[in-house]
Amino acid sequence: MASEQKHTGGSLLFSVLQEHGVKHVFGYPGGAIMPIYDALYDSEVEHFLCRHEQGAAFSAVGYARASGKVGVCLATSGPGATNLITGLADALADSIPVVAITGQVPTGAMGSDAFQEIDVFGLSLACTKHSFQVTDINDLARVLHKAFAIALEGRQGPVLVDIPKDIQLAEITTTLEDVSKLRNKVKLPPVDVGHAISLLSHAKKPVLYVGGGVGMANAVDELRTFAKTTNLPSVSTLKGLGAIDPEDENYLGMLGMHGTKAANLAVQECDLLIAVGARFDDRVTGKLDEFAPNAKIIHFDIDTAEINKRRFADAAILGDLKVNLPALAIPLAIDDWLASCQDSKITNAWRYDHPGENIYAPAVLNEISQKMPKNTCVTTDVGQHQMWAAQHMLFNDPTNFLSSGGMGTMGFGLPAAIGAQVSRPTDCVIAVTGDGSFMMNVQELSTIKRFQLPVKILLIDNAKLGMVRQWQDLFFNGRLSETDLSDNPDFIMLATAFDIKAKEITKKSEVSEAVAEMLDHNGPYLLKIKIDAQDNVWPLVPPNTANDKMMESI
Amino acid sequence: MNQYQLNIKADDKQVVLERILQVARYRGFLISGITASVNTGTNIGVIELMVRSERSIDLLVDQINKLIDIKEVTVDNSASQECSA
Repeated sequence: MASEQKHTGGSLLFSVLQEHGVKHVFGYPGGAIMPIYDALYDSEVEHFLCRHEQGAAFSAVGYARASGKVGVCLATSGPGATNLITGLADALADSIPVVAITGQVPTGAMGSDAFQEIDVFGLSLACTKHSFQVTDINDLARVLHKAFAIALEGRQGPVLVDIPKDIQLAEITTTLEDVSKLRNKVKLPPVDVGHAISLLSHAKKPVLYVGGGVGMANAVDELRTFAKTTNLPSVSTLKGLGAIDPEDENYLGMLGMHGTKAANLAVQECDLLIAVGARFDDRVTGKLDEFAPNAKIIHFDIDTAEINKRRFADAAILGDLKVNLPALAIPLAIDDWLASCQDSKITNAWRYDHPGENIYAPAVLNEISQKMPKNTCVTTDVGQHQMWAAQHMLFNDPTNFLSSGGMGTMGFGLPAAIGAQVSRPTDCVIAVTGDGSFMMNVQELSTIKRFQLPVKILLIDNAKLGMVRQWQDLFFNGRLSETDLSDNPDFIMLATAFDIKAKEITKKSEVSEAVAEMLDHNGPYLLKIKIDAQDNVWPLVPPNTANDKMMESI
Repeated sequence: MNQYQLNIKADDKQVVLERILQVARYRGFLISGITASVNTGTNIGVIELMVRSERSIDLLVDQINKLIDIKEVTVDNSASQECSA
């Protein structure tokens, strides 16, 4: 039986974190969180000092996504807290379990416009799953336990706990709660699969539409068994990549704005779409009224609010995918449809025979994908390189591809890779980035240096904000507004300044050797590849257009 | 534009009213009236929220139901109506 112990608020925080199995946290100290950092000094929890609170938040997100554990980040009040906000919004959009701890000015000073005071509790309402402000030391442990439970239960998400400085300093004698007794309290109505089975068994052209919820539910095995039993052709969202075995002959690739032609055509033609942990996001559906126009919908989800939100579900299966997917796993007689999908996949397969001497980013990414160790974790930033990575790299698990999906946050990739590397120290971690995104959290090179994290950085450099430039060319009459980055710093010198080995290549003939050198290097490494500034991401479904009307070239 | 009345029961916790109002605004519902009271014995708050929108009220009901401190959300059909505003 646990005995009573004397704590300060700060030391109680770390005791509760340890109760929840937290070994690593990411953060940045400051005035209103000093008692917590003082308690950290005596704690067994390992702290990773990031060089910006946004970096700490994204590292916590990367840690959570790569490991399946809760990511934890710390920041002080005021600007420290506001710097966390983008990371929390990112975690909310992608349903990532993060607990963020912010220091706050003392309770007596709250509401007085004190130095470094901001109402982060108020700010948190729109960018967290839930939030707390602790104003009584007697509530602290209970609130922290609840924060972890909320972050993990049902549809996962970020939770913020704001702790005023006097609460961090306050003393309490308490017994820690047995966290094994904390249970998932999500209540859902009983599932009736009868109608869904009827829809499934009568479908002639069904397609399985896989989203990020599969990985979040830890239901990859159940999904693959379901796909194998039903023999359904499958497509994936950006966040669902890795859930379906990419070598599965019935897997057609990513759907949506930059999806494969085979995936989009199959979805547009299907008569039944089985959505699993997916939410009919606008980047997936294109013009919603014309998305899968002939299809009835079976929608599996843990979140009631996603049902009928963007598309009416003929059958809704609410609850745990690990339980519900096996209930619908029945063999289907759809051989003609499968053959048609497989033909389309072969006909529309990617080609890497790009003419000329310039480096072709899709080919480089495909080569890295083939050569990287099996359990490599790839993070991306946001833009053209992100879509090329999603299109041309293969992932065998959702925890091996971390990309900012819902929020689309530039600056995500590098700190997320740091978090992933901390959570999986023996696995290869590669941050695929662009020259625009890289500069958004470039200060985190210092975190890599400090902890000697062997993160590999593939910097795809076109001296442009490439995706915005592409859209300006295609949809804004070529009026290139503020997308030129030709005054970028010397990235090789920059990396070298952080003791990170770096190399630049400019020709296709240099790719194989450089990729091998990067992957073989023991420590951190930056490989910059120079690509043609006019290279575009294809296919592209123009805005407010049906997915079968994709552009494939200019 | 339709007008709806939601009857909401919630735990009397920090900023629960702000959370409900933020969700209503963000999801595209104009607030045309609100009353709120708390039973100090049970610490349960009762909120009557009048909202207007062209969107389905189910969207708002589902999103308010997701808030952690919410116990129940119902639409009072007798007080809801289609209006031309």
